[in-house]
Amino acid sequence: MDAIEIVKSNYIKELLSKKMREDSRSMFDFRDISISTGTIQNAEGSAQVDLGATRVLAGVKLDVGEPMEDTPDQGSIAMSAELLPLASSDFETGPPSPESIEVARVIDRGIRAGNCVDLTSLFIEEGKAWNIFVDVYVLNYDGNLFDAGETAAMAALLNTKVPEYENGNAIREKRTRKLKVDNIVTSCTFGKVDNHIILDPNGDEENAMAARLTVATDKDQIRAMQKGLGGSFSIQEIESLVETAMEKHEFLKRHIEKHR
Amino acid sequence: MKNIVVPGELLEERPFRTRNTYVEDGKTYSMVLGLYDKETASVTPLEGTWIPHIDDTVVGVVSNVKNSVYEIDLDFHIRSIVIGGKYDRFEFKLGDVIQATIKDIEEKKTIILQYPRLLNGGSVITVTPTKIPRVIGKNNTMIKQIIESTKSRIVVGTNGHIWINGGDDALARAAILRIENEAHVSGLTERIKNMMEQKM
Amino acid sequence: MGSKANKPELIVNGKRLDGRAFDELRPLKIEAGVLKNADGSAYLEWGNNKVLAAIYGPVETQPKHMAEPTRAIIKCRYQMAPFSSLSEHGRTGPNRRATEISKVTKEVFENVVMLNEFPGSMINIFIEILQSDGGTRAAGITAASVALASAGIHMKDLVYAVSVGKIGEELVLDLNMIEDNYSDSDMPMAISPRNNSILLLQMDGGYTKEQLARAMKMAVDAGKTISSIQKEALRDVYKKVAERYESV
Repeated sequence: MDAIEIVKSNYIKELLSKKMREDSRSMFDFRDISISTGTIQNAEGSAQVDLGATRVLAGVKLDVGEPMEDTPDQGSIAMSAELLPLASSDFETGPPSPESIEVARVIDRGIRAGNCVDLTSLFIEEGKAWNIFVDVYVLNYDGNLFDAGETAAMAALLNTKVPEYENGNAIREKRTRKLKVDNIVTSCTFGKVDNHIILDPNGDEENAMAARLTVATDKDQIRAMQKGLGGSFSIQEIESLVETAMEKHEFLKRHIEKHR
Repeated sequence: MKNIVVPGELLEERPFRTRNTYVEDGKTYSMVLGLYDKETASVTPLEGTWIPHIDDTVVGVVSNVKNSVYEIDLDFHIRSIVIGGKYDRFEFKLGDVIQATIKDIEEKKTIILQYPRLLNGGSVITVTPTKIPRVIGKNNTMIKQIIESTKSRIVVGTNGHIWINGGDDALARAAILRIENEAHVSGLTERIKNMMEQKM
Repeated sequence: MGSKANKPELIVNGKRLDGRAFDELRPLKIEAGVLKNADGSAYLEWGNNKVLAAIYGPVETQPKHMAEPTRAIIKCRYQMAPFSSLSEHGRTGPNRRATEISKVTKEVFENVVMLNEFPGSMINIFIEILQSDGGTRAAGITAASVALASAGIHMKDLVYAVSVGKIGEELVLDLNMIEDNYSDSDMPMAISPRNNSILLLQMDGGYTKEQLARAMKMAVDAGKTISSIQKEALRDVYKKVAERYESV
């Protein structure tokens, strides 16, 4: 962390001790969310999400491939995230960082565990199925890539159309059928700064926080969780944050569903 | 009348050497995105990095200490240090925010600072260094007005870091960020004056 | 070049597939200052190309031993997003093509950036092709040029780039993806508009001397349009703020 970031994180702590946040949000408010879908026409689906100043772009490609051996009647889904060096001076070029792998895997778990995509609908014929690739591209970083990424991936999947299939090939110019999405999972990430817990931490708040908890839920259930960083949460805290995440589900889902 | 010019834009058909311009084949071109004032034949950059000068006031953070040599992070690509001496006694710890004055720039490799002073508490905001002259204003008028209205303590570093403490610091922040955003639009002084009066 | 086996007819009744004349550019849109964190940035749409360019710098050179005491160094990374093309999912990470484009792009900007202004520092240029439709290196250079200016980097000129290709014996400006795949020749160029010096030139296929001269003239003519769009993008950032007050 830069020396100046330490100064800024001290300021965040001081504000929180007065129950205030840098951008005058209350503790469990999201920043403004805006979603636009279908911007990358070459992709089978795409969505850009602005969560405050954090901007991510998710692109979906569908390739013809072989089903996994143990699920011969299903396609597959693979998630990756790239923290592009143009998004922040803290991101570097090179092989995927542990941070980007964690983001991708947490997003993946929520969507997979929530059975969001009907994988059997990706079966084409004996030995052939669609493989879905979701790439989450971070374009500008200002904290909370987990929720921005989950939202973008979910919206991009809802935006996805399956190409037609002919003699082993994808006919990408012809995309008529919508990808079958059965469930919507939303994600809430909390940060703990001293003894204060906040939702949707921005970049300065992430520098100040000691622990992080991501809770992905659908309407009824918790679908994935990830605790991060060196700090800790109490059992009571986790129970109450899960509650908050479930309460926020409808709000996030409404945003995402506008793009179905 | 000031025009927005871009790098490579022809300013004059004759050679005219001023800052942020260059002469090629007897013609004068802009080398930055800036405002061109035909009367004074000068280009003021709209964006860009800080260019340090001796006697500049800077605001930075202590990022390293070794044998009373303090390394100060000014968010700049050249290292800055301040050296404690026999007659110049001071002691800082990592993470302290300080203000200081540029004593010397050694071979464009190290910035030597002097007269360091601890800035206790408060917070630091960062603006584009090219906008700092507007934040200060002619004869300090702009910054004086903000300090008087907000009762905040403010130290403006030419390197772009501004330290704010106490008073209506939220208003002081808002005013400074507004100056950064609107620095090139005429009537700024008037708008900031109104902003200050409305909030009082 | 794509396989010639199922080559589509690229010119019908004297017009190109997308209805353009031979010397006509695709629609070009540029917006400057689109990314908050970067020191300078630009978003460009050129035909169906969608490109983001961002500048970080001048910053301290990393690794330190690469620093040049008398001048800045430029680093450039051009990359295509894995979802950017209308074909299968692309592999991430640098490949030979991207590495070469990054290198020649860097060399373009070494010509115009006033490297002596920032000794010891490093200027990072990042070009992300979000959607590709032929001519991405030209689009990347044109965007990066605006991004550099918006970062306040001292430069001799605002470089633009464009390609001229050949379909049959016809010279055509600004090839799109299909034309690029099946054309007989392609020649991307980057040009400094103040004196029309050529800063990037790559070519394959076949040109006669006469065709080469004509192709370069086509690029320079098109450059007038591209340059003015680049300048407008930079001015617009400040005009938008100004208009809020001047209209009142």
